[in-house]
Amino acid sequence: MAVWTRTRGRMMADPGLVVAFAAVGALLVLFVLYPAVRVLAHPRLADYLAVPQNLRWVQAARNSLVMMLLSTLTATGIGFLYALATSRRDLPLRRLFQTLSILPLFAPPFMVAFSYILMFGRQGLVTKTLLGLDVNIFGWQGLWLVQTVAFFPFAALIISGVLEQVSPTLEYAARNLGATESAVMRTILFPLARPGVAGAALVVAISVLADFGNAVVIAGGYPLLATEAWFRIEGLADLNGAAVVVALLIVPTFALFVLERYWVAQRVYTAVSGKGTRIEQPATPPPIKWLLFAACAVVAILVALVYVGVLAGSVASVWGYKWGPTLAHWRLGLAQGGAQLLTSVKIGALSALLTSAVAVVAAFIATRETLPLRRAVDFLAVLPAALPGVFIGVGYLLAFNAPPLILAGTAWILVLALSFWHIPFGYQAARAQLKQIEPSIEEAAQDLGASGLRVLWDIYLPLLRPAFMASFIVAFIRAVTNLSIVVFLVTPRNLVATYSILAMIGGGFWGAAAALTTALLAITLVSVGLARLLLGVGLRPIGGA
Amino acid sequence: MPEAHVRLRGVSKHLGTHLAVDDVSLDVPEGAFVTLLGPSGCGKTTTLRMVAGFYQPDLGEIRIRERVVNDVPPHRRNTAMVFQEYALFPHMSVTENVGYGLRMRRVPRGEARRRIAQVLELVGLSGQERKFPHQLSGGQQQRVALARALIVEPEVLLLDEPLSNLDAKLRVRVRTEIRQLQERLGKTTLYVTHDQEEALAISDQIAVMHGGRILQVGGPADIYFQPASRFVADFVGLANFMEGQVVDAHHVRVDGLILTLARPIPGRGRVTLVVRPEMIRMVPAVQNVEPALQGRVTATSFLGTVTRYWVAALGGEWVVDVPAPGHEVLRGEVALLLPSDRIHVLAE
Repeated sequence: MAVWTRTRGRMMADPGLVVAFAAVGALLVLFVLYPAVRVLAHPRLADYLAVPQNLRWVQAARNSLVMMLLSTLTATGIGFLYALATSRRDLPLRRLFQTLSILPLFAPPFMVAFSYILMFGRQGLVTKTLLGLDVNIFGWQGLWLVQTVAFFPFAALIISGVLEQVSPTLEYAARNLGATESAVMRTILFPLARPGVAGAALVVAISVLADFGNAVVIAGGYPLLATEAWFRIEGLADLNGAAVVVALLIVPTFALFVLERYWVAQRVYTAVSGKGTRIEQPATPPPIKWLLFAACAVVAILVALVYVGVLAGSVASVWGYKWGPTLAHWRLGLAQGGAQLLTSVKIGALSALLTSAVAVVAAFIATRETLPLRRAVDFLAVLPAALPGVFIGVGYLLAFNAPPLILAGTAWILVLALSFWHIPFGYQAARAQLKQIEPSIEEAAQDLGASGLRVLWDIYLPLLRPAFMASFIVAFIRAVTNLSIVVFLVTPRNLVATYSILAMIGGGFWGAAAALTTALLAITLVSVGLARLLLGVGLRPIGGA
Repeated sequence: MPEAHVRLRGVSKHLGTHLAVDDVSLDVPEGAFVTLLGPSGCGKTTTLRMVAGFYQPDLGEIRIRERVVNDVPPHRRNTAMVFQEYALFPHMSVTENVGYGLRMRRVPRGEARRRIAQVLELVGLSGQERKFPHQLSGGQQQRVALARALIVEPEVLLLDEPLSNLDAKLRVRVRTEIRQLQERLGKTTLYVTHDQEEALAISDQIAVMHGGRILQVGGPADIYFQPASRFVADFVGLANFMEGQVVDAHHVRVDGLILTLARPIPGRGRVTLVVRPEMIRMVPAVQNVEPALQGRVTATSFLGTVTRYWVAALGGEWVVDVPAPGHEVLRGEVALLLPSDRIHVLAE
């Protein structure tokens, strides 16, 4: 009681802060918690109990778990190898490999699948034209390949982060005590990377479970939870069924998320050392080096093919038959989808702005120790990372189609859904940056008479500008390329580019789809370029959040 | 003259385009504690790392007990090293860290256990076996690093600024312990530091390095009282310098004052003289009857064991340390008396 009174006393001493806290708290409750609760509460208990009798759903759930295991295994394995290789400073073409592995993080989420159909499908450039094979890439095997390529970058990025923390001195110490090269790997590098690998596997598993874009493009006939939710609504207008399916999906996703955040993330070894000399890494022995190089090269080619496929697809006359160049697809694509491209950019920019603003203020509030419930703010700000896009999509459909707030059919429902889904990216970036700021800076400001909000405005906002901009760019790119949420929320009045591309692929207009995808890709790459220019750094630090 | 255990002959090493070590020759006698002392970037750590085998010399040779080891990889050298940042394996317990070298040498489990217990006892870490590095204090981590190096019974023990991550008090205590342990085990030791006080306190021999070269090798007292150059005099403690004209083998004229030197002066003409602050006697000018330098006190600082004076004399600033604090602080005009046996003539 005494504690509460004191806390309240201190809170009331700073009304501006309390208002900001209430505003952010209300937004998070309304746009994160409320839709989630609506999804879970929508089906009746009987609907949940009837799930085991629905063979299609049982099949979808089983398939989702199988895909999760397969793709997580390969994506994490390749990610680990890739991270290990690029952590060697003397790896040839190291920078190129690093850049190539980051690129897919900013590609539209269906792009790998689409491009691999063009490259390795029945009409595939590689399979049919170059190798003369008749390959059916549609189905779980194709999805496995595609998800491996699409999600290994997450694993590589996370594991790299851990490996980079390993001081080269540890390698020297082990060598000094009699360890051979392979013993150094076995006894030092692998064990130190283990928590990173575990964390990476969990993040990849969540992404695989939630993957809608690749699954719908390459494995439409293979029942999966993420796609099933959409088929329920698209074909059958079965909102209740969709809610049940995404509720099923949330069970493993949320469990993995909790495991990652509260168990693995705490176990990463921090290097024990004071100030140390910066010493160069020992040279990698040539056989190991070239082995790693070969592995990287294979993966890099697979990544490069994703881009080659889409680009070639947009200019080849008739894919698989007539390879001569044409601009017809671009003309068709831009005529049909140019306006939607513009809508995508508008909605993306607006939502990214909202994401960054809310995220930065939420991060600031979560560090105020005088505020009660700040842990709740923290939880709500990272929660969307545990929610698959299809879950958010169904959630917004259920929550804002009826009073108190009716947004269905407007562009605002898209903006809000995308904004709040991407909050964790901005939030984590801002929290990381806040950690870098010395508490004494704030104490100095307070000492000179600044209130809580004043401290945010004068001290933290200027210092948080890089985090704000980084979060803006990432949120923008993800919003512009999003498919899993928009398929649920678009209306004929607010069509966006990704939705049109999906329709074009479905309708067999591969060239136009490729042209629009390329245009979308160009927009995201320009944004990344701008971010590099404005921030002076790449997007690596936040790409894996 | 004991046989040199580690011998460097004409060793040079480039790091990138920078000549980090330039024609270094050094003998480390069996069982001796030799320190490489110098400012950062002087090449001392690079030299040490060449002895460990992390770098190969571009020129020259390194012998350990008459065997040229230039091409021997680090894991076959048995030159265990204690690293500045300790380099403890964060995922291993104290036992696993200390036992790592034995594991790499495939020492049987039972013997390993016995030796681990023994060495932990030696460094005073018994009872901490199951802890991980992050659960230990800085001083304890330092001991684990030392134990991990000692347990493999290295031919030569290498220490790279092992005390720089400890606070001042602990630093003094641990360095005494390291020295006692080294003497007890009779382990040939090569030590690197930039701290001159540490070097003086711990070493049998000190090699002062600068710009990749060894400027002087000698016992701590030699280095301190008979520096070979201005750099050594300045780096190893505080020093007062004065220019003088040699009169004869035992007398130098400094600004009208004839100083007497106990040791004969090599050479003629102009020379530079060095006097340590604590060797100067200082009295109020009015009480003085002996020939002395005249000066004026410009500042004083009470340091506990001594009071330090800055005195304007001979157109420069002199530092004088007066022991026996608690005495009245001198002000104004003073006379500086220079003892004939503690004035050193620089060879250059």
